[in-house]
Amino acid sequence: MTAAKGHGALACAAVEVRIGAKTLLANASVELAPGRVTAILGPNGAGKSTLLSVLAGQREPTQGRATLDGRPLSGHGMPMLALRRALMPQESAVAFDFTAQDIVALGRYPHRRAPTRDEDAIMAEAMALTDVTALAPRILNTLSGGEKARVHLARALAQLWHPRPDGASRWLLLDEPTAALDLAHQHSAMRLLRAWAARGVGVVAVLHDLNLARRYADEVVVLGAPGGLRQGATADVLQPALIEAVWRMPCQPVTGADGVTQYLFG
Amino acid sequence: MSQRLGARAVLFGSAVLLVAAFAVGAVSGAYAISLSQLWNVLTSLGQGAGSQSPEHLVFLNIRLPRLVLGVAAGAGLGMAGTLMQGLFRNPLADPGLIGISSGAALAAGITIVLGASFWPMLPRTLGSWTLVLMAFGGGFVVTLLIYGLSRSEGGTRMALMLLAGIAINALAGAGLGLLSVMATDEQLRSLQFWLLGSLGGARWSAVILVGVAVLLSCWAAASLASPLNAIALGEAQAALLGVDVERTKRRAVVITAVAVGAVTATTGIIGFIGLIAPHWVRMVAGPDHRIVLPASALLGAALVLAADTVARTVMAPAELPLGVLTAFIGVPMFLLMLRHFRGRI
Amino acid sequence: MTEQRDLSFLSSSSVPRRRDALRLLSAAALGAGAWPAFAQDSKRLPRLVTVSGAITEVVYALGAEGQLVGTDTTSLFPAAARATPKVGYMRQLSAEGLLSLKPDAIIATNESGPTVVLDQIRTAGVKVEIIEADHSWGEVQRKVQAVGRAAAKEVQARELQARLDAEWAQVLQRIGGAKGRKPKVLFVLSHSASPQVSGEKTAAHAVIGFAGGVNALGGFNGYRPMTAEAMASAAPDIILTSTQSIEAHGGVERFWQRSELALTPAYKKRALITQDALLLLGFGPRLPAAIGELHDKFRAALA
Repeated sequence: MTAAKGHGALACAAVEVRIGAKTLLANASVELAPGRVTAILGPNGAGKSTLLSVLAGQREPTQGRATLDGRPLSGHGMPMLALRRALMPQESAVAFDFTAQDIVALGRYPHRRAPTRDEDAIMAEAMALTDVTALAPRILNTLSGGEKARVHLARALAQLWHPRPDGASRWLLLDEPTAALDLAHQHSAMRLLRAWAARGVGVVAVLHDLNLARRYADEVVVLGAPGGLRQGATADVLQPALIEAVWRMPCQPVTGADGVTQYLFG
Repeated sequence: MSQRLGARAVLFGSAVLLVAAFAVGAVSGAYAISLSQLWNVLTSLGQGAGSQSPEHLVFLNIRLPRLVLGVAAGAGLGMAGTLMQGLFRNPLADPGLIGISSGAALAAGITIVLGASFWPMLPRTLGSWTLVLMAFGGGFVVTLLIYGLSRSEGGTRMALMLLAGIAINALAGAGLGLLSVMATDEQLRSLQFWLLGSLGGARWSAVILVGVAVLLSCWAAASLASPLNAIALGEAQAALLGVDVERTKRRAVVITAVAVGAVTATTGIIGFIGLIAPHWVRMVAGPDHRIVLPASALLGAALVLAADTVARTVMAPAELPLGVLTAFIGVPMFLLMLRHFRGRI
Repeated sequence: MTEQRDLSFLSSSSVPRRRDALRLLSAAALGAGAWPAFAQDSKRLPRLVTVSGAITEVVYALGAEGQLVGTDTTSLFPAAARATPKVGYMRQLSAEGLLSLKPDAIIATNESGPTVVLDQIRTAGVKVEIIEADHSWGEVQRKVQAVGRAAAKEVQARELQARLDAEWAQVLQRIGGAKGRKPKVLFVLSHSASPQVSGEKTAAHAVIGFAGGVNALGGFNGYRPMTAEAMASAAPDIILTSTQSIEAHGGVERFWQRSELALTPAYKKRALITQDALLLLGFGPRLPAAIGELHDKFRAALA
C-alpha cells in the first residue's frame, strides 16, 4: 500500500539517529500517505518519539533523510513546513501566564502574514472540537494535564485548519496525544483524528495503547520488532505473535459486538 | 484573575503615566521654577536666544536633558528587561544576566582607577567621553563573551548563557574588587558613585546619542514580539511553528547590549527597572509581548523619571544616587515577585 | 624653598583692577546682577559656594562667611560651616542644586566634579574658580586669592595672604634650622576596611616634607594598600595618620594591633601622630600652624 512518491507523501529512508555512543533509531524507513491515520507503536526506548521528530523536521538524522513530496525536509524550510505540518508535543512547559485562548492562537502564528477572514472562528471551532471552549480564559499552567493536552491539540488543529491553496498535503503529527486524557476524551480525540484523516490530512500519532491503535489506526509502524521496523495495515501487522515478540506480553485477541478486534493482555 | 486590560487601555495608561511623570519632573527640582516661569521658557523656545533668564538656562541646559535622558534610560531598560525575560522564558530575568552591567562597570572601574596611569593618551583624545565609550565597549565585549560561551551544537542554549553569565559576572565583580583595592580614596569614591547610577550631568550631546540608540533598539525589538510569544511554548515548539529561534536570540542579545550599554555607559548602573516594569505590565495586561514590549518601555521611562525626581529633590541641594532609589523600590518588589512566582520557577 | 614664587604672587595680585571693570561690564550684560568689585561696601556682596574644606576655611578667615550660601560635605571647619546648606560630595555635585542657591561664584579644587556639572554652572553665568591642588604653598595662596576675588574682598585677601606668607616663612625657617636627622614618616589613610599608605605626589607626602620629615615610602605615586613586607622594608620611625582613620579602626590600641605595623621601628616606640584630616591635608589657612605642630611632634617622637 505504498503511496506514489512525490504525491504529498511523508517519508524517511534508512534513517539513523545517534547521540554520541547511543543509537536512538536505526535503519528506519517509512512511507506515509495523507488521508490515513498511522500509529507509531513500540516499547519504551524503541525510538517512537525520535522517529516522529525526524518526520516533523525537528531533528536531523545522523544518516538517511526524511522527505516530503520527495524533497528533503531541510529543503522545504521551517516556515514553509509550519504551514503544512503541526506537531502536538507530549508535554510542553509554557512560560508566563498565557491563557488557553492565547495558546490556541499561537497555532495560527505560521499564517500571520496571510490571515484568513475567519481567524477568530478557526480558534473557536478548534477549541470546540477538543472540548476546551470553557477553558479559553483560564491560564494554561493552572489546568490539569488532560486539559492542557486538549488545548495543545486544539492549537495543532488550528495550525492546519484550512486546506492549502495549492492542494499540498497537510500533516498532523502527535506524540502520545491520549496519554493524559481520560477515557471518554481518549476515544473522542481518536475519532476526531479519524475525521480529519477523512478530510485528507495525514495523521501520524505515537500511541502507547495498542487497543486504541487497533480500533482507530488504518496503518501501524511498529518499532523494536525482531528484524527491524514493520509497517503495514493494522490488522496485518498487529498479530499476536508480533505483539508478544515486541512487547513480551501474551495477548489474546477478542472481537467485540461492533466487529472490532481488541486485545486482552496478561 | 483574568480581568486583563486591553492593549489600547494599557498602552494609553502607560503613556499617560509617562507624560504625568515628565510633567512632574519638569516642574520639580532643587532650583525653584514657578509654573509661569516655565510657561515663559516653553513659549520662548521658538524665538532664539533673546532673554536667557536663569530659569531658561537651568531648564533647557540642566533639567530638560536630564528628563529626556531619564525617558531614554527607562525605555531602554524596560524594553530590554522584557526581551531578556522572553528569551530566558523566566519573569525573573533581567538585562544584567548577560553581563552588560558588569562589563560596563568593570570597564568604568578600569578607566577610573587605571586610566590615567596606563593609557594617558585615551583621556586626552576622548576627553570627557572616555568613561562613556569605555563603559559601552566593556558592556558589549562582556555580552559577546557570554553569548559566545553559550553556543553549542544546534545553537545557543539559554541554560548555558545563564551559567556563563553568572561566571563572567562573578569574574567582573572580582576584577572590580581588585580595582577598588588598588584605587585611591578619590578614585574609589568616583567609582562608587558611578556604580550607584545617576542622571546628573546629562548634556545634550550624550542624551541625544543615548536617545537615538534606545529609539533604534525599541524599533528593532518590535519585530521580536510575536516570535517571543511563540518561544514561550518552548524553543522546540517555536521552531516547529516556523520561528527562527537562533536569529531571535541573536537579535535580542544585540538589541539589549546596544540599548542597555548606551544607557549604562551614560548613567552608571540603574537596577531593577528591567525587572519591575515588564512584571507590572504583565500583571494588568497579560504576557503578550506585543503589549508588554511597548508598555514596559513607557512604564520604565515613567518609573525612572519618578525615581529621579525624588532623587534630586528629597535631599536638595544635594542628590541621592538614582540606583539607591531604584534598589529601595526594586528589592521589596523582587521579593514580592518571588513569593508570587514561588510555585512556578 | 618657594620664597621667590611667594613674592611674585604678592605682586601679581595688584593687577586685577582692569579685570574687575571688564567683569563688571560682562556681568551687567549677562544680567546676572552687578559685580561690585570696587564697591566693597555696596549692599549686594557676591554669594559664594565653596567646594573643599580648605576653601571654606579661607572664606571664614576673610570674614566673608555672611556671603557663604552653600558648602560641600568636606567643609567641616569651623563648626559653623557644618550648618551651611550642603551641595553634596565634592566629586558628585548637582547642577540644579548648586544653582538653586543662586550663587555668584563657586570656588572649588580641580578634584571636584563632575566636569559636566561645572560646565553647566558656567553656562548659567556663575563664575567657577578652579584651584589646582598641587600640594604646594602656592595652592594655599591661590585659594586665598580666588576667594578674595570671588567674594569681592581683595583687600582683605591680600592682608590675609601677607599674614599667612609670613607665618609660612617663619615656620619653614624654624624647621630648616632644626638639627638632627629627619625622621622617616609613614602616612596611613584608613576610612574603610583596607588601610592605604602614601607614596609621592600626595598631600601627605608634601606635608611630611614641609614638617622636616622624610616619607618612608618612595618610588610610587598616590596610595597603595598597606602590606607587612612593605612596612618592614620602609621601616618608618613615626606613623602619621588622621584622627578619622583612628576612629575607623576603633581606637589607638586596635590600630597598633595591626600585624603590618608590628615590625616597624615606630611600633616599638608606639610613635604615632594623629591629626584631623582637614587640618593636616586640606592645604588651607591653618597649614603653617599645622606644619609647625607636626614638626614639634616629630622632634618629640624622635627624642
